[in-house]
Amino acid sequence: MAEVVFEKVRKTFGSTIAVNELDLTIEEGEFVSLLGPSGCGKTTTLRMLAGLEEPSGGTIRIGDRVVNSVPPAQRDIAMVFQSYALYPHMTVGKNIAYPLKKRGIREPERSGRVMATARLLELETLLDRKPAQLSGGQQQRVALGRAMVREPQVFLLDEPLSNLDARLRAHMRAELIEVHRRIGRTMIYVTHDQLEAMTMSTRIAVMNAGVLQQFATPADIFHRPANVFVAGFIGSPAMSLVDGELTGPGSDGSDGDGRFRVHCGALDVALPAGLLNRSAAPGPISLGIRPEDILLGSGDHTAAVGLVERTGHESIVRLDAQGTPLIMRAPGDTPIEAGETVRFSLRGERLHVFDSATGRRLNADTENS
Amino acid sequence: MNASRARMIWSVVTWTIVLAVVFPLIWMIVTSVKPQSELFSIPPTLMPETITFEHYWRLLTDTPFLQYFRNSMILAVTTTVVVVVLGTLGAYSLVRFKYRGRETLATLVLFTYLMPSVVLVVPLYLMMAKLGLANTLASLVIAYTTFALPYALWLLRSFMSSIPVDLESAALVDGADRMGAFVDVILPQALPGIVSTALFTFILCWNEYLFALVLVNSDSVRPLTAGTMNMLITSFNIDWSLLMAASVMMSLPLIVIFTFLQGTLTKGFGAGAVKG
Repeated sequence: MAEVVFEKVRKTFGSTIAVNELDLTIEEGEFVSLLGPSGCGKTTTLRMLAGLEEPSGGTIRIGDRVVNSVPPAQRDIAMVFQSYALYPHMTVGKNIAYPLKKRGIREPERSGRVMATARLLELETLLDRKPAQLSGGQQQRVALGRAMVREPQVFLLDEPLSNLDARLRAHMRAELIEVHRRIGRTMIYVTHDQLEAMTMSTRIAVMNAGVLQQFATPADIFHRPANVFVAGFIGSPAMSLVDGELTGPGSDGSDGDGRFRVHCGALDVALPAGLLNRSAAPGPISLGIRPEDILLGSGDHTAAVGLVERTGHESIVRLDAQGTPLIMRAPGDTPIEAGETVRFSLRGERLHVFDSATGRRLNADTENS
Repeated sequence: MNASRARMIWSVVTWTIVLAVVFPLIWMIVTSVKPQSELFSIPPTLMPETITFEHYWRLLTDTPFLQYFRNSMILAVTTTVVVVVLGTLGAYSLVRFKYRGRETLATLVLFTYLMPSVVLVVPLYLMMAKLGLANTLASLVIAYTTFALPYALWLLRSFMSSIPVDLESAALVDGADRMGAFVDVILPQALPGIVSTALFTFILCWNEYLFALVLVNSDSVRPLTAGTMNMLITSFNIDWSLLMAASVMMSLPLIVIFTFLQGTLTKGFGAGAVKG
């Protein structure tokens, strides 16, 4: 059993709170990403799990063991660092062999396991080189090899792809998924890149300012963001968030069809029945609209077209709906030019409504609501 | 045309400086192999007419030169070992551990250099005498350690602070304890710094004269500097031939050490392993 559990874990540096009351249970064999902007506490969380930082409060368990004050060497974990942290004075072979050597595994078993790992990662021909003689991608694989060779219970990866160029990153992403599938161990992956998190993870823990925002599958994170932060952070281009006023069924006396309406400046949207949960009440809200949920052509809204960014297969269009800025995604060949006025409609069932005061999502399909 | 002339002028200038610097050394070697009769001949001979090694032989057989040499060697090696061990551990502590007054301590250590060593001679001698260490090699080891350690700490500190913390964290996660990580990762990375420190300390000990003159006063513990001066320069006579032969032999260890360590000092260590 190598389930990883954080219970009310806190970490403070002086008066700064890096991680606040973190509760997180990661199942055995999962690939979990800790995702968030710089300084959100994700790396600190990982380092606490590795034993490189001691939590200021709460407990961390790996399997059945509380590891709060267990030294890193005895936690049965392996870690890949953002800088790779290969030992510069050792050859690739010695780098990979180091964790085995430190655990008293003797020759010839040691060389055997190093060879097996090297073969898996296609490093056989590089074993006698020094890290400085390798390319970034090769160094990355050596770092991975050094982590894999010991077959630890839990793998920790701290932004391992951030130093690679875009093509290599896409390649290594696929390779990491493959490695995870093959060895089936728990992997915890820190990244600020939502694409990496979305494509690789079984579940994503979104963090901000030391607080866990949402812990869910990539699909849930995308389609059912728990709050305004997650909604704005996930998705590229970002979801448009517009401040407005929610009026309840019949609250203005004129609308008797039992549906909520949202008034955002000139934008007046009737929400589909049943979109919001029972706690939704008239008041200030933020309306979230994904770029792909704005449909051009017909509809009762109009907007002026601002900047149009064409990437070939799609166009990202900035709209100004009478003072309300929106971002829309359209097919690449859409004939649209800056300065035009267009009509558009919204996919009502895909709209997100957040309470302005708490930031919480008010849609009926929200978990834990 | 112009470029080649400029190059020639530069060559002439460079060689003039080199010769000016090297001449005393050449003169030292030349004098050490001249027979006594040729030593003061006018005009002086640049190349000796006859080469003799009698001075070297006399130095090795008739004088306590070898004893001094042995003392200097013990002194320099012991001090170097002590300084390197204390320096690496101390520098590591200054770089990696967080404790109150760490920065102040590092600065204070450097302040000791502001004190001219001459004023320390007498107090130090009295202290050594009180400790029962007067006239021992140990007293010199202690004195030299106090001179070399601040420099060692600062040099090694800058070397160690340039070693990425990630390397050590990686070693810890890979199964090493702190001492293991220090030995496996920090020491190899700091090697050029350790070698420079060792070299600095060794040369300092090997060439030091003032404290060697004051703190010890018997031939059995005198190092080369004080010993040679004491033996060959008297109020009545300076034995130039022997002095030059002694100087040549005193320089040999340093030349040998430099030759061997130059490679380590300049080898491109630690480049490129950590990105970012």
